[in-house]
Amino acid sequence: MSDQMTPTSSGAEPTAARSLVPMWILVLTLILLFLGAVYFDRHSGWFDKQVYPPYASATMLESYQPKSGAAAAAAQGKRVYEQICGTCHGVDGLGKPGQAPPLAGSEWVIAKSHNRLAHIPLAGISGPVSVGGKDWNLSMAAMGAALSDADLASVLTYIRSSWGNKAGEVTADDIKTIRAGLVRPQPMSLDQLMAVPE
Amino acid sequence: MTVNESPTNKIDVSCRVPLLVLFGGAALWLVVGSLLALLASLTFHMPDKFGDCPWGTYGHLQPAADDALLYGFCIPAGLGVVLWIFARLGQTPLRSALVPVIAAHLWHVGVLVGLVGIFVGDSTGFAWLEFPRGGSALLFFAYLLIGLWALMNFSGRRDGGMFPSHWFLVAALFLFPWIYSTANILIVGWPVRGVVQAVITWWFGNNLVFVWTSLVGLGTAFYFLPKFSGRPLQTYFYALFAFWTLLLFGSMRGVPAGAPVPAWLPVLSSLSSLLLIVPVLAVAIIGWKTVVGAAGEKCRGGSFCMIKFGFVAFVLSALLLIAQSCPVIGRLTQFTWFGTAQTQLQLYGFFAITMFGAIYHILPRAVGIEFAFPKLIRVQHWLAMLGIFILVASLAVGGVEQGMKLNDPAVAFGDSTKAMLMFLRVSTTGLLLILLANLLFALNIFVMILAWKWSLAKTVFAFVISPLNKTEVKA
Amino acid sequence: MKNGFVIFLAAFAVLLTSWSAFVLGPQLQLGGAKQVPVLNSTEVYPRSRPGEANQGLQVYRANGCAACHTEQVQQDGVACDVVLSSAGKNPSAVSNLLATLNLRGLNQEEAHAASDKITAAGGKVETHIVAVGPDIARGWGLRRSVAEDFLYDNTVQLGSLRIGPDLAGVGARSPNANVVLQHLYAPKSVEKDSLMPPFRYLFEVRKIVGGEFSPDALNLPKEFAPADGYEVMPKPEAKELVAYLLSLHADVPLYDAPFTPIIAAKP
Repeated sequence: MSDQMTPTSSGAEPTAARSLVPMWILVLTLILLFLGAVYFDRHSGWFDKQVYPPYASATMLESYQPKSGAAAAAAQGKRVYEQICGTCHGVDGLGKPGQAPPLAGSEWVIAKSHNRLAHIPLAGISGPVSVGGKDWNLSMAAMGAALSDADLASVLTYIRSSWGNKAGEVTADDIKTIRAGLVRPQPMSLDQLMAVPE
Repeated sequence: MTVNESPTNKIDVSCRVPLLVLFGGAALWLVVGSLLALLASLTFHMPDKFGDCPWGTYGHLQPAADDALLYGFCIPAGLGVVLWIFARLGQTPLRSALVPVIAAHLWHVGVLVGLVGIFVGDSTGFAWLEFPRGGSALLFFAYLLIGLWALMNFSGRRDGGMFPSHWFLVAALFLFPWIYSTANILIVGWPVRGVVQAVITWWFGNNLVFVWTSLVGLGTAFYFLPKFSGRPLQTYFYALFAFWTLLLFGSMRGVPAGAPVPAWLPVLSSLSSLLLIVPVLAVAIIGWKTVVGAAGEKCRGGSFCMIKFGFVAFVLSALLLIAQSCPVIGRLTQFTWFGTAQTQLQLYGFFAITMFGAIYHILPRAVGIEFAFPKLIRVQHWLAMLGIFILVASLAVGGVEQGMKLNDPAVAFGDSTKAMLMFLRVSTTGLLLILLANLLFALNIFVMILAWKWSLAKTVFAFVISPLNKTEVKA
Repeated sequence: MKNGFVIFLAAFAVLLTSWSAFVLGPQLQLGGAKQVPVLNSTEVYPRSRPGEANQGLQVYRANGCAACHTEQVQQDGVACDVVLSSAGKNPSAVSNLLATLNLRGLNQEEAHAASDKITAAGGKVETHIVAVGPDIARGWGLRRSVAEDFLYDNTVQLGSLRIGPDLAGVGARSPNANVVLQHLYAPKSVEKDSLMPPFRYLFEVRKIVGGEFSPDALNLPKEFAPADGYEVMPKPEAKELVAYLLSLHADVPLYDAPFTPIIAAKP
């Protein structure tokens, strides 16, 4: 390309001019590094692997942890229910014929005292029992025996407050007491269940 | 008409065949890549036409287009330019050119294997690393060979001094094997667990798409700008400073602000990006002082013009990169086309156009044949400039608009996509112009390759039919 | 700088810094991560995906879905909502007080002040932590995505462009598998102005056997349905992909992304 054929471009290799060090750019770099360090201190959580934005530090993250209240327990109860109980009793609490009786409107669930109710998942139940006017004759294993006190309490609280049921909550301490007092951890019959005090 | 400069001519000729293979294949992949990019863009305007064949979906076309541009064109073009610049600066011809020639062929086969792999569903799924193992192994091995040859030429150079371009290009030669092997081993070969894969992908992508191309592109620009301006590079210290700060701050970034990783990673990345303002300033000053006011400055659509345009595109692309990393602007532009605009400006507007300028200068000298269509060079240059301007402007503005809608929960998601359609149409036009420009580039290269092969064939034929010397005939 | 070797060493040191910060560091910190406990529960998170959903992740990867979709919910901030849990002995005083107070989107000091006022009036309150951000407001998730969400992903497909919506919580907001399958086959039938290509090659159109639609066949509106006598059946890849999508949830509270989960009261 003829317009590039100046003597310099055709043969001689380029050289670099030496001159004074431009101090301003070094100063600018140092200022930016300093500002960056301040920003890092304020926002990075100092390499803590649990601190994600918008939390700026581990302290801030800790202060925003929700305290466990009724809402948290109910959500936990829903999760555990759907995982463990829902397959038979239905996610909608309506039960399945031949599989499990309904919990919605069940007199066993909404009874004022939760004592008898708590025994059912802890020990299991077997044999004829009447739920909501209908007769059921099935067998349930102790599905709640493997759950922690808190989880079983939250499930029972959940079923007692869902699908139109309006009954009081069950606490982890309640479950702990009941569990400790379980004499016969085998599926109960209707008579044995009725023998449990209210 | 050939350039008559004897010792330099020997150096140029020594690079001839490796450069022809590297640049020839690069030109082919450039056209393939821009065609795939155009098709990918069309899927937004007529989505229903692309649903019957897996090869036609955006999820296959776009990664293939990106990788064809980066691995098919950018890296081999860069390697070829590195080979030539080392030979010229060190005043030492390239020895045993057969090895880089074989390596260049291996590289292009690797790209083919990789692209086909993406289409048949073997993509690794990681940005800029999509090539399956077979392809990436070929690429790694080929790069090692060519890099080794370049380093051997560098260390055995007759002219023992070092010019600023040397630092940039030698660093780039070492950078790619390191990042490529690390990424492939830790993500594809023996994958690390969970989100660490994403962090390494970002690290790799940034170091390749930003740092490697900046090193090679700036090394090339710092060679050609003083050469064409007829002035020494202004100045040595600015170049030294730009090199170290670019390497340090450029390589310590890449993690996006909202990433599902602990806060220190995106914060470190943003700070490093902010500090990039320093090398960008230094580079801009070098360009300004070296070129402005110099005698050879007139722009006539040739190599000098292209390298100047690429240089300005670098400064702009780096500024967009820095802007994206600021918390406020980044929150607006993340997950939008703005990022794509910046990447295309870096890869095509800066790197590819700089490579065009370099290749148009180097290849006639190496091969000894002039380009068949010199007027098309200027046409190609204007088409490429116009095309990349339209592409980047439409995607950048559209990306900001998309980001504003994404950040407003009152706006239904569908509306943010609908708002983009107009900008996407404009960007498709830009891609069409770029495809045309690339076709003109490839035309000149392919015709030169054919002319060379033809002259080679004529030489061989003439030798074969020439009468033997009497002394060679045995009685 | 004249000595090539010195330059090599210095450049090596710089790159080593970058490698340590972005490869070694994250690997040491997050590479050995295990399941973490869910807030206020004995459960752990995440649970590994069933086989079909895991296969679906590979279908997602092979089809390049990450080119258009992200899987990372963003969160701009965190706020407190003060909620009355019991009106106490003086309900009218409490309700008068509530009318004057702003109880949503508070920071911590405001939340403390408000709950102190209500407690003083005899009511009982709970402070709920909520995540704040456009993604949260859109229902794309209840909290930001964190590293634990991707613990069992063999190829982490975070995505980088939102041409389509974020999918991190798509399992929670999709009603069932059939809607997702229909979205894959004919996006415009679910989302009128969708730019998503119809992934027809993940399905096969075949003749109806025995006069009745197969149970798995897609139920499509008229303009997207095949000709009379034909039905659209999802191929195994489509079913795996949908199983994967339905497994994506961003709604479990964790220590590093806390929020107070609320359950909708069932009628």
